[in-house]
Amino acid sequence: MAKKGSGQNQAEENYLNESRRNFFKQSSLLTALAVTPPAFLKAAEEGLDEKAAGYFEKMPLAIQINGVNHDLSVEPRTTLLDLIREQLALPGTKKGCDHGQCGACTVHVNGNRVLSCLTLAVTAEGKKVTTIEGLADGEKLHPMQEAFIKYDGFQCGYCTPGQIMSGIACIREGHANSDDEIREYMSGNICRCGAYPNIVKAIADVKKGGQTL
Amino acid sequence: MKNIDSKTHTRGKSIYLDDIPLLQGTLFGAAFGSPIAHGIIRSLNISVAEQMPGVIKVFTAKDVTGENQIGGIIPDEPLLAEHEVDFCGMPVAFVVAQSDDAARAAVKTITIDIEPLPVITDPREAKARGELIVPPRTFSLGNVDTAWQACEYIFEGIAETNGQEHLYIETQGAYVIPQENGALKVYSSTQGPTAVQRASCRVTGLPMHLVEVEVTRLGGGFGGKEDQANTWAALCALAAHRLRKPVKYSLHRMEDMAMTGKRHPYSSDYKIGFDKDLKMVAYEATFYQNAGAAADLSPAIMERTLLHCTNSYFIPNVKATAYSCRTHLPPNTAFRGFGGPQSMFVIESAIAKAADTLGIDSAVIQKKNLIKTGDEFPFGQKAVSEAAECWKKAEQLYEVNSIREGIKDFNSKNQIYKKGLALMPVCFGISFTNTAMNQARSLVHVYFDGSVSVSTGAVEMGQGVNTKILQVAAIVFSIHPDRVKVQTTSTSRIANTSPSAASATADLNGKATYLACTRILERLKKVAAEELGVDENLIELKDEYVFVNNVQSDLDWKKLVNTAHLKRVGISEHANYATPEIYFDKAKEKGHAFSYHVYGTAVTVVTVDCLRGIYEIDAVKVVHDFGTSMNPAIDIGQIEGGIVQGIGWMTMEEIIYDKEGKLRSNALSTYKVPDIYSAPKEISIDFLQSDKDNLAIFRSKAVGEPPFMYGIGTYFALRNAIKAFNPLAHIPFNAPMTPEKTLLALYSNPQPLSKEIKRKDEEAVTSVAIN
Repeated sequence: MAKKGSGQNQAEENYLNESRRNFFKQSSLLTALAVTPPAFLKAAEEGLDEKAAGYFEKMPLAIQINGVNHDLSVEPRTTLLDLIREQLALPGTKKGCDHGQCGACTVHVNGNRVLSCLTLAVTAEGKKVTTIEGLADGEKLHPMQEAFIKYDGFQCGYCTPGQIMSGIACIREGHANSDDEIREYMSGNICRCGAYPNIVKAIADVKKGGQTL
Repeated sequence: MKNIDSKTHTRGKSIYLDDIPLLQGTLFGAAFGSPIAHGIIRSLNISVAEQMPGVIKVFTAKDVTGENQIGGIIPDEPLLAEHEVDFCGMPVAFVVAQSDDAARAAVKTITIDIEPLPVITDPREAKARGELIVPPRTFSLGNVDTAWQACEYIFEGIAETNGQEHLYIETQGAYVIPQENGALKVYSSTQGPTAVQRASCRVTGLPMHLVEVEVTRLGGGFGGKEDQANTWAALCALAAHRLRKPVKYSLHRMEDMAMTGKRHPYSSDYKIGFDKDLKMVAYEATFYQNAGAAADLSPAIMERTLLHCTNSYFIPNVKATAYSCRTHLPPNTAFRGFGGPQSMFVIESAIAKAADTLGIDSAVIQKKNLIKTGDEFPFGQKAVSEAAECWKKAEQLYEVNSIREGIKDFNSKNQIYKKGLALMPVCFGISFTNTAMNQARSLVHVYFDGSVSVSTGAVEMGQGVNTKILQVAAIVFSIHPDRVKVQTTSTSRIANTSPSAASATADLNGKATYLACTRILERLKKVAAEELGVDENLIELKDEYVFVNNVQSDLDWKKLVNTAHLKRVGISEHANYATPEIYFDKAKEKGHAFSYHVYGTAVTVVTVDCLRGIYEIDAVKVVHDFGTSMNPAIDIGQIEGGIVQGIGWMTMEEIIYDKEGKLRSNALSTYKVPDIYSAPKEISIDFLQSDKDNLAIFRSKAVGEPPFMYGIGTYFALRNAIKAFNPLAHIPFNAPMTPEKTLLALYSNPQPLSKEIKRKDEEAVTSVAIN
């Protein structure tokens, strides 16, 4: 990077012309940190945790996602959501708030619904994760996907993957015995377009169908 | 027809901005926003950020290669603050780094020294200090000043509505990729691709043909991405232009909430006068719009406030004045209804005030004053009304009288739970109020294999506009919908677009598509006539075949288009549509502002828990004027969604800025939007059948915004339930009616009417107190 005090344009020039040198500088910085724990500790003490976080060692992670086994290496701080979206390039699971407040990131871990933005990826070690992409069997849609289409249970579609994953779990948990119950147990999934009446209908219809999900 | 995105939405295969696969070398941006609402920048320290690992460059105002300006209507909004900050979260610097984490980490190291200036958050205070975005405007009809003398009853007071966070579940964002020869490709989550193009060009200094903006779809917009998508796209465009690298910025939820503007809060004065039969004689309203720190779309929103100040009623004497007041909040912006809901709340409050005082039901006044065909709006247009039709049908269909009796009975038997009923008529004008924006283009290609490609300026954001446009092409050509693909929205294919807003997108782009398809169809008919050796007038295309005199020929769609191509007949078309009849004379504040109006009536029933102040919406039952819906499934979805969003605005969505102008309701934990459990238990929607002609696409009236205002009924139903518990409850007209406010109202000390009137410090009160 540009030296302290150098102008903006200089910094830009440096980047454009000397990115290779920058790479080596950063690599050596990383190496230095790796062999000198006190430097790392100091960074953490100063509250520069974002800075420090980049230097965490990665952890091995064996995880099954949509029926495929993966042996991965992840930073311990990586959320399941970021792992799914960024490392595994499965963008169907959405990031709406990253704070566990909207439900758009809902996935199944061993069949149970979890908010993937509040789940550290490493805690899913040895577990089976299902995302929206893993529901359909080839061209054959999951009954909940069929029901969302049948009842128009969406508008913009952004919350839909989370709604569908949540809806399936809602039935599995035995929490879809009435419209009221569905409403209560689906209240963690926000749909700003307000497709709620149709979401209730879709889930109630799948429940009525009695299929094992 | 089902929404064409059904399959990809339910499989998680729909691509939104944050899902676009990244090119190698993509850099990530993050904005540093001002920590205080108003002040002079003394110094900005970015040196630590510049040294952070992975940081490529920290952009500040002096790095802007073009003009440091993104203001749309008025050039009053710098992209990056230069000398002064005007709101908390105002972008001051833009960090670009090799990773998202690195960029955000660097943002946290930036420090700024600001000499604080006084912070104004209240629009009335701003007006008192002369802080106006634009000069005030006044719409008038008849003569209110003389009309008061003819009034038997006069009521006045204050009505206030809070803002509303859009909370599109997909946050704002942009991804800009440099192209050869200095061009840029901008992916943006925007309702206004041309607005993003214009802003990107302005800050980079590039001409428009070098900047292509492309939008696949949005994960919700609701007005929040009409102008406010510009900042993020312009920042990424500037960085990509300078660094010649792809740059992406997808906002975190809390950044989005803190840095973007919302629905305008309004504080308004009203004065309404009736004759002895409760016919409205005169109405005077003054609106103080809280515009925030820059114009954004506020002047246009203020205009629509005035255009809807009488809602669904005819009043012969009206004087409505609006002030767009500059405060130190993020620039407030478009949100479903665009200023209309705010003024409708005011007149409904005036009616409720009258009804309370007279001891009658608001519905008595509402019904007597519904606008009729031929009545004049305050801006001069004559109504083609369905107001009474909707009202009467709602009364009969939903048996409003027996609902009323049932509630009376329930309330007499229950002490702790009380029910309330309200009717809410809505009349909403369709067209951009800026006449020049009522134009659209469509580019239709028929390929020689029989497939069809349609491009328009419409942006799909869940409202189903692309499905409707596809329907238009399939209907005009009489081919299977699977043959048609609606393409992404791109400024290279369709130039100079109006934003997808004002409920008018399907009308404008649908009609342009209709024109383009019709022209191709005429040429195809000619080819068919030549091929079959018959008169052109006998040719018709039906169900993928050419018919001659109603008899099916062997010539099918595929053969026909292939033949046309071989004969070197053009089977592509670019058509332009401009809404006819509309005009507006701002000097006189009169004109034919709208292509047509949409009408409807909602019946809302609520139950209030009078121990806790919490409540449920039992039912919202609507008769809505769809014209002739071309896609009932999509239109019903729009009504249901609009109602839920309107109820949110009126009940639980409470934006809180502190005195320093800092947003306190800055996450979904502190800002509540309706969840599935708080949506009405029952929503019924009935289609008003009307044979009146209108200018909508296939007579299918616009449906995006009008249903939002049905939510206002919920506020008044809650009010009535509270009154059933405490007839003397003091309930200021101040939305939203949160459970907290409900509880306070339930147990409020009764205040005599006179006190409330004295709150107004203007001219002497002439009202007749009837208690």
